[in-house]
Amino acid sequence: MPNKKKSLGAIVKNGLLTENPTFRLVLGTCPTLAVTTSAMNGLGMGAAATFVLVFSNLVISLLRNFIPDTVRIPSFIVVISTFVTIVEMIMKAYLPALNEARGMFIPLIVVNCIILARAEAFASKNGPIASIADGLGMGIGFTCALVLIGCIRELIGNGTIFGAQVMTAGYESMLLIIMPAGGFLVFGTVLGIFNAITAHTVKKKEGSAA
Amino acid sequence: MNLHLSSAPHAHSRESTTVLMLNVIIALIPCVAAGVWYFGYSALITVAVSTASAVLAEFIWQKCARQKVRIGDLSAVVTGIIMGLNLPPQAPWWMAMVGSAFAIIIVKCMFGGIGDNFMNPALLARGVLLASWPVRMTAWQAVTGWNSAVDAVAGATPLVNPSVYTRLDLFLGNVPGTIGEVCKVAILVGFAYLLITKTISWRIPVAMVATTFVFSWIFGKDPVTSILSGGLLFGAVYMATDYVTCPMTARGQIVFAVGAGLLVAVIRNFGNYPEGVTYAILLMNIATPLIDRFVKQPVYGHEKGVRKQNA
Amino acid sequence: MPDKKTFRGGVHPLHRSHEGKAPTRDKPVREYAADTVTILMGMHLGAPSTPCVKKGDLVKMGQVIGEPVGFLGLPVHASVSGEVVDVGPVQTVGAVPGMAVTIKNDFADEWVDTLEPLGNVEKCDKDKIVPAIKNAGICGMGGASFPTHVKFAVKEGQYCDTIILNGAECETHLTADHRLMLEHSVRIVDGLRAAMRALDVKKGVIAIEDNKPDAIEAMRKAAEGRLGVEVQPLRTKYPQGGEKQLIHAVTGRQVPTKKLPLDVHVIVLNVGTAAAIADAVIDGKPLISRITTVTGHVKQPSNLRIRIGTMIADVVGECGGYSLEPGKICVGGAMTGLPCPSDLIPLTKANNGVVVYSEAEAAATEETPCIRCGRCVEVCPIGLNPYKLKYLCDADDLKGAEENNVMDCVVCGSCSYICPARRFLTPSFKNTKDKITLEAKKRKGQ
Repeated sequence: MPNKKKSLGAIVKNGLLTENPTFRLVLGTCPTLAVTTSAMNGLGMGAAATFVLVFSNLVISLLRNFIPDTVRIPSFIVVISTFVTIVEMIMKAYLPALNEARGMFIPLIVVNCIILARAEAFASKNGPIASIADGLGMGIGFTCALVLIGCIRELIGNGTIFGAQVMTAGYESMLLIIMPAGGFLVFGTVLGIFNAITAHTVKKKEGSAA
Repeated sequence: MNLHLSSAPHAHSRESTTVLMLNVIIALIPCVAAGVWYFGYSALITVAVSTASAVLAEFIWQKCARQKVRIGDLSAVVTGIIMGLNLPPQAPWWMAMVGSAFAIIIVKCMFGGIGDNFMNPALLARGVLLASWPVRMTAWQAVTGWNSAVDAVAGATPLVNPSVYTRLDLFLGNVPGTIGEVCKVAILVGFAYLLITKTISWRIPVAMVATTFVFSWIFGKDPVTSILSGGLLFGAVYMATDYVTCPMTARGQIVFAVGAGLLVAVIRNFGNYPEGVTYAILLMNIATPLIDRFVKQPVYGHEKGVRKQNA
Repeated sequence: MPDKKTFRGGVHPLHRSHEGKAPTRDKPVREYAADTVTILMGMHLGAPSTPCVKKGDLVKMGQVIGEPVGFLGLPVHASVSGEVVDVGPVQTVGAVPGMAVTIKNDFADEWVDTLEPLGNVEKCDKDKIVPAIKNAGICGMGGASFPTHVKFAVKEGQYCDTIILNGAECETHLTADHRLMLEHSVRIVDGLRAAMRALDVKKGVIAIEDNKPDAIEAMRKAAEGRLGVEVQPLRTKYPQGGEKQLIHAVTGRQVPTKKLPLDVHVIVLNVGTAAAIADAVIDGKPLISRITTVTGHVKQPSNLRIRIGTMIADVVGECGGYSLEPGKICVGGAMTGLPCPSDLIPLTKANNGVVVYSEAEAAATEETPCIRCGRCVEVCPIGLNPYKLKYLCDADDLKGAEENNVMDCVVCGSCSYICPARRFLTPSFKNTKDKITLEAKKRKGQ
């Protein structure tokens, strides 16, 4: 269980690697599959989610002693949707082009399980500073995962990364990878590799301990 | 005296996984030969590349995953050859490689290796290629003959425009199509070999083709042309009969084959694609565990009416 | 007579080499008496008998040396005349040593003088037949060694309308029953008639696989003019001689699960058992010798009439010795034979053959992944799903295995024989069956 004894750095690292929301907790797979058709999409979604995560964690942590247990989930949702609305409005105001392209995924952040899960599992039991660190770690972990999957899919399916041509001119892109089925394939494969590496390191640690 | 104490039975049938796979490879030789005869040596190169990459992919995976290397059981060779025969004759070499690697690594090895793949590897890889490079996978080359230059002369697949080709052309393979599927004579020779060696039973191919025949007729198509065109025969003989992805019991196999045959007729007549064999078989592959669960063979001493019959 | 009958599933083991029967099929039975015999007290299914002789005693042929114990108990008789040289435990095919009486043969072959012959099987007192069978120590000679008189114990409300003599001999390598049918066909029919009279059964069927046309012919000749006796040819297919398969093939009836053949009004006896019944009824002689096929890598494969309790090493010696370094010695054929830990093991009433395998034949095979080819499902004579059962058994899921009818498995070995991936199907089912039986016993005991 995360507690106050843990340093902030450890909490951030926890979100990035040990409990990476996408690859270890397998939370928020819906946006992972839907928006990772390109690296840019992944980054945008990740940034928006991180923003919401940090601030909702902060607010919920501050309010944790005032929210009655029985209505905590609706309260969390209200807090989260407030921040999602803020993100949506900011995007509409300052990034109209991006909003046009990916705007439809933003409201979905409300029901992204990572945010609710962190509110329930961490922010409602920890102080504000630790909660910000947790939100940051989790958010960056989520963003990294989305960018990684986005890069792979964009590279294979379109020959580019962040819109820049990477593959040579003769490259014929593999359409399937940027289709929904490709999302599952790449997600599953990366998940498998991540698990294999984790299992390997755990075994090594156990081996050295014994 | 040092005596073994392994338990009975002490004799064993000569068939092994390797022998069965070898039988399938031998049965595929007529199809490869016919493909080369009709489409030139480039077809041979395509099949060779896909086979080699399938074996290599399995070898690399098993080395990396620290598994026992089982390329000796020849199942990767079978997958590779079938993959190659599922490609259009002018398919580029890299497509053959991608297809085989996908079939072996994603479909077969990631799900647990031989015996654990949930779909026919070569067939799913074909589906992936079809979705990824639809233009290349459906640009048919007209029959050019051995040693011809590889110029993609576009020809309509018989499924789009059946009146262009005679039934004899369809039967002999003088039509555009993938390397393996065009020559029905070669497929039937391979089928006969598989039956004689008892590698597969007649049930799935016969029931599947017969079902498509009947339903094409009901849907108002010429049934003979229907079963002779496209990949129906090739799919029914070499791919629907894949041990791993078809039901275990005789009754289950009939259910499987009838389902696949019906889906072929439905997709061809009402779907967006001119050809439905790939998706028909893949769909029934997914249904296989379900069929195995519900279609069981009667168990001695448990059959209904055993008591009554004995009374 | 209807055509060759058969059952569903099954395999043709060693088909290309005539089921391994060729070396001994045409060899007439030879008498063989060893210098010493070691007679086990626990040859039959059920509690072992209690030895009633001691070291130094002089015994005659047919003298009782072991008293029966319990409901399934049988007496044990001396198979040679001579001096008892030892009474004590010896190594057996099973894991635990068994109590045995060792007798040094004086080759006088002097019968004990208390034999009670009943005479002609058609005329003798039919109420005395079953006690005679019990006193002669007869148990199933096909392999299961179930006490024969218990098979005849028809309970209230049960009846028997058919006795089937099992002459299928579907196992590989074995020709003992084949030779018996050729050389003692009248004795077999006499035994069948005795059994039929004992229970007032109207129909007796002698079932023989069609790879033994000469035996079918001989039995038909012997059965001519005998009341209610007919010969039924069967398709050659393993396990045609399995009790359940045989009943289905001959009568079309299926023994319901967890029931006995008598529940479908059938009793199945081995042809060897029938001949032993004839000996017991006509001459009053107990079961002290049997025909055993000794084959495989021995110099002169033969059919021997051995005295019960002869050591494997002795019968191999009688057949000229090993022709090469043996890798495995089994009692019984290739499909169900039991491997012996050494050749110093005495043969019992149920051992119809000794097969010697070379080192190469015995070498362990490697188990490879299942390719779901469905051959095991196709050949299972019971209709089980061996591939699925194997996963359950490997996972030690006794409940799941039982739900998938593992208890109906007859351990015939067909699935293991046919499996192209060489999976150890049959051994794991046998193991699981034993475990389930043990669990049930434990539960009962509490």
